[in-house]
Amino acid sequence: MLVKTTSMAAILAKSGRLGMVGVLLSIFVAGTAQARTLETAFGDVDVEGTPERVVTLYEGALDAAVAAGVNPLGAVTTRGGDNVASYIEAHLGENPPAIMGVVREINIEAVLAQQPDLILAPAQLSDEQYQLLSRIAPTVVPPTQPLAPDNWKAEARLYGEALNRQAAIAEAIEAVEQRAAEVAKAVEEASVGGSAFLVRWMPGGPMVMSENLFSAGLLAQAGLDVQDAGLVGERGVHSDVLSLENLSQVDGDWLFLATLNEDGQAAVDAAKQSSAFTRLNVVQQEHVVPVDGQLWTSANGPLAAQAILDDIEAALLP
Amino acid sequence: MTVPRFATPNVRRATPRTLMLLLLTALVAVSLVSLLIGAGSVGPGRALALLSGAQDSEARFIVWELRAPRTLIGIVVGMALGVAGALLQAVARNPLAEPGLLGVSAGAAFAVALALVLGASAATLRISVAQLGALVGCVCVLSVARFRGVGNDPVRLVLAGAAFSGLLASLTSLILLYDQRAADEIRFWVIGSLAGRRLDDLLAVLPSMLVASVMVALIARPLAALALGERVASGLGHHPNLIRWLVIACVALLVGAATAIAGPIAFVGLVVPFVARAFAGPDIRRTLWFCLPIGPLIVLAADIISRVVVAPSELPLGVLTALCGAPVLIAVVRARRLPML
Amino acid sequence: MPFSPEDQFRADGNNNVPPPQGYWRFAWRSGNGANSLLFEQRAVVVNLGLFGALLLASVIYLSLGSVKVAPTAVLQALFGNADIMASFVVQELRLPRLAAAASTGAAFALAGILMQTLARNRLATPGIIGIDNGATAFAVASIVGLGVSIAPPAMALAGATTAAVLTFGLAAGNGTQGYRFIVAGIGVGAVFGAITQLMLARVAIDTANAAYPWTVGSLSARPSGALQLLMLGLVLGLATAMALARSLTLLRFKDATASGLGVNVKRRRLEVLLLSVALTGLAVAVAGPVGMVGLIGPEIARSLASSRSVPVLAATLAGALVMVLADLAGRTLLAPIEIPVGIVTAVVGGPWLLWILMRPQRSFT
Repeated sequence: MLVKTTSMAAILAKSGRLGMVGVLLSIFVAGTAQARTLETAFGDVDVEGTPERVVTLYEGALDAAVAAGVNPLGAVTTRGGDNVASYIEAHLGENPPAIMGVVREINIEAVLAQQPDLILAPAQLSDEQYQLLSRIAPTVVPPTQPLAPDNWKAEARLYGEALNRQAAIAEAIEAVEQRAAEVAKAVEEASVGGSAFLVRWMPGGPMVMSENLFSAGLLAQAGLDVQDAGLVGERGVHSDVLSLENLSQVDGDWLFLATLNEDGQAAVDAAKQSSAFTRLNVVQQEHVVPVDGQLWTSANGPLAAQAILDDIEAALLP
Repeated sequence: MTVPRFATPNVRRATPRTLMLLLLTALVAVSLVSLLIGAGSVGPGRALALLSGAQDSEARFIVWELRAPRTLIGIVVGMALGVAGALLQAVARNPLAEPGLLGVSAGAAFAVALALVLGASAATLRISVAQLGALVGCVCVLSVARFRGVGNDPVRLVLAGAAFSGLLASLTSLILLYDQRAADEIRFWVIGSLAGRRLDDLLAVLPSMLVASVMVALIARPLAALALGERVASGLGHHPNLIRWLVIACVALLVGAATAIAGPIAFVGLVVPFVARAFAGPDIRRTLWFCLPIGPLIVLAADIISRVVVAPSELPLGVLTALCGAPVLIAVVRARRLPML
Repeated sequence: MPFSPEDQFRADGNNNVPPPQGYWRFAWRSGNGANSLLFEQRAVVVNLGLFGALLLASVIYLSLGSVKVAPTAVLQALFGNADIMASFVVQELRLPRLAAAASTGAAFALAGILMQTLARNRLATPGIIGIDNGATAFAVASIVGLGVSIAPPAMALAGATTAAVLTFGLAAGNGTQGYRFIVAGIGVGAVFGAITQLMLARVAIDTANAAYPWTVGSLSARPSGALQLLMLGLVLGLATAMALARSLTLLRFKDATASGLGVNVKRRRLEVLLLSVALTGLAVAVAGPVGMVGLIGPEIARSLASSRSVPVLAATLAGALVMVLADLAGRTLLAPIEIPVGIVTAVVGGPWLLWILMRPQRSFT
């Protein structure tokens, strides 16, 4: 199915009153005429040329765009902040993206004000939002897929193709694979591998994160045997809060404790107040690694992968 | 001034003493079941073997370190919520006055959201935050609703509570819009549960519980006098307004403490006095006594169910009590006429 | 607005008698002879004033935002001869949103004043009695993917209906007394609230984010089909409510009084209740739960209008005005971040609510 998107660019080009952007866009259209057809959640979308004015409405899209060398004009804020994620901020140049609202409430007018020629959106975009955004510019929404550790690659490639920077994305993904292989080799040489669990600690007990999570996939690539003890269902991202009586089920060689506040050690200390936690072998061996929950449990993309591999290296290979 | 009418079914066939004895036996039995059954691998057989002297370190840990504190906390929470509900209903002369409907849960959730935004994490959250929020929420609704006893619209208090809760929930949402981190964590906090609560938590709220207990003992008699009408109470040398404010303080302390340990648990404060009145009849003092075994009975029974239905995980207790309690609320209003206590 | 004293004056058959104080007479002649209608002056002034304010607010609404459009350009864009950017912003983004704001606000406020009159309690609004919660629970269920593939707006409508039917069913038997319906509604709402929380606790944060507009109420990118349905329902509902105006006025009194004045109290009450629930359901399907407007709109209308009758039209207009202003504030105050309209109305309506509650008790309206 081919969705006809009457983009702002087209409207601008057709209208008698060509603004400056209209002129710029029509030059592009004339210059690189070949269109790429992308398979998105809302059918096929045509993108022409190399988009220059890009707006990302999803952290994974921002990550992929920056990794591909594009500095987006607009982005939504990250969790718990009024700006983009700190790990991405380090890669941004002089001009940080303008804020397009929060992911829960996207400011469509702010998107329009940027006069983008490409919008990279999250898979959860609602139908109504898509109808409006796709009239501003071609809007790329990745198809939703069952949770799998490699989803980020497909998403990044889709965004890369939309940006016409397929090579740069392939390179970034390749760099992640290579780095992971290196870490895996070092882990094997130091023989610190083994089984690992990724959990978030709640007052009632831990929530086990799925072994299909992005970060869990990287842990696996780095040579750890990531498990979720069969507690996470097919579609789930994390289990319900696990009963403390069953805590021994997450007793492996490594325990990655994702917390959402600055001080990860504080969360470990809080967990240690529970005797059910302290009697785990993994705790007694001090193999509990506090990690940044925002990066580990909700980020996505090549830059995030590198940042997570940094964390893994620091924890396993001091 | 007429003697208050009661719509609750009167089932006093046995003497109160026998009934009390039966309830206490049931409570002991449920507590025992609470020690025997859990979401984990230690089943009733193994736990029973342990209790009769077998050597089993895994079972010992789970029964004595996990299930015993949890059972104890369930008993205390049940007593606190039950007594608070009975007090509130007596002083508001309103069988619908339920602490959970009166902005307590919303107040606690708001306080927790605020604390999360200010940098705390759900894992390290201090228990006092929730207690403070519950207190403030409760006091706000009660003072706002200006309940005045006879002649007051029984629904007014409930509506005030619902409206106030709605307001606080919106404010909580406003915070959550900006702070995704808090948004992620509060999803798990707003549902009450007994899982993973420690004896330390109980000790933290014990002082306020003790103060409240002493107050209850002191105001029970004046409260009973107040039930006969303001003039009777005044004539017996009590001060109706003072009594009311003492009761509010008492309720806020009890509910705040229970919410701080277990999170918002809806409808227990409604159901327990409802059942207790059926056993005890109109006397508030007797009703209060009956709330003491009935509250823990209901909370523990719900908690046991919450452990087994979705094992190896647990269903939050707050969801279960809401599902079971709402029908009772509706049963109360479906009574032939809304009783004015 | 037609009002009962006309009967008395028609009996005189003489249009030269001066109208009662505070009324205007609109008289004309037709085949039947002399006809006249009496309009309450204050109601006419209030309604016209509110309508004017709504128009003014709409123009401001259309011109302010992340893209600035001058008021003159707004008018040009409306009639299709502005530059392409302004036309897109005004016609495609802001106009549908304005329509959604005005019609949901009107519907919530109308539903609110109906239920308040019925229950003789100014706090009894559909938002408080669980219809919102039902709609939210169903919409969230659709988003978190509990085996249903129906779009959230349709599910919200289904949820509102389910909650209403449940409440009706549970409150029925020995008469539909207002308070029983309300308390049953609060109970039903509590159950749906708990279910919503449970669902949100079991999904990933990204999915919880997608469900967020349905938990607070928002006007950003709303479903157009539901909006058309709402507009149709609003027109019908407002007409019905105006037709019921006289019995509504009498419903404020004791049942015995109302019956004595010729109102079939039981039946009228059921009709009003159904109307209120239907309007709420349609509005929730568009904007999610923005229940506070059902409280603010009628309150404004009552403070402006006289207490002779139930200010149905004024409440509807005030609700629309409040919603438009609230969404305007939400879009512009913290730009580029947008505050969902449900939160703005709660933050503004909250203190108002407390003020109402804290004032010394006085009789209804």
